[in-house]
Amino acid sequence: MAAPAAAAIAVFGVLYGAAARPLIGPELTMISSIIVFSGATQFTTIGLVAAGAGGAAILATVALLNVRHLLMGAVIRSSLGASRLKRALLAWFLLDESFGFTMVAANRMSPGPGRISVAERTLLVTGVCCYGAWLAGTALGILGAGVQGLEEVSAALFPVLFIALAALTARTLSLAARALMAAGITAVIAFTLPDWSALAPVVSGLLVAIPNDPKARPDR
Amino acid sequence: MTPLLMAAVAAITYGSRLAAMAVLPRPSGRVETVLERVVPAIFASIATLSLITDQPGLVEAPVLLAAAGALLAAPRRSFALCLVAGLAGYVIAELVL
Repeated sequence: MAAPAAAAIAVFGVLYGAAARPLIGPELTMISSIIVFSGATQFTTIGLVAAGAGGAAILATVALLNVRHLLMGAVIRSSLGASRLKRALLAWFLLDESFGFTMVAANRMSPGPGRISVAERTLLVTGVCCYGAWLAGTALGILGAGVQGLEEVSAALFPVLFIALAALTARTLSLAARALMAAGITAVIAFTLPDWSALAPVVSGLLVAIPNDPKARPDR
Repeated sequence: MTPLLMAAVAAITYGSRLAAMAVLPRPSGRVETVLERVVPAIFASIATLSLITDQPGLVEAPVLLAAAGALLAAPRRSFALCLVAGLAGYVIAELVL
């Protein structure tokens, strides 16, 4: 299941490598992919560098961008085991994509050791695949690989991927309705407050998740 | 852009992942219920963001039709079917538009 996501990530890695190299140099471009491993953060960082932003502005923006990790981490935490060290290591692989695949795999299992094992393995395998793809793509981009034609296909893959993940995790009509509402709120934020759109998943997710159903029926 | 600044960016990024997964206490009760509801909402939100450009505007028609194809298949709750429907939407748009 992770192969299409890894392929798309590799293409975006190429784009990142090609875009970052003239701005921060080939060495720091490669190092950034090795030590940051976040497309959203890295593209935003070089965008700010290109715009002449200072260090404080870059760090503040990165902190805001990463707020969503707090929410995703809290969600995925419930599916993982008790070992703090293992969770700390797995935290490296927490991406939108690996989060999605892990939650889908965990939701297919009954609570218990089996679910924990599947969730941890899924997070590790998808994370390693995505990390490898991101590093390989960045290296190719630095070396000057071209991805004309693939860029749009990859751009099409992300909405399809996340719609599929939303469909898999929306197990009830209530969850599906909340997901659709979150999509609507996100669109409003993106069009009216584009500078804040990176926070839309957190804001819309919480706005639709906190209210209880009118008839107070459980979601599961 | 200095290596030190890049290291700080990396520290913030990993720190945000680490905090929720290994440092903060495990959520329980009402919080856990809310977090379960959040999952599909986050995916739907990210999908929506990927259809909107920075300007802001909508992405190219083939990408929109790929998303429409996946959305049509979504009620079947099949990952493979969503991917195939999305790909079909993209190919049809490329051929027709």
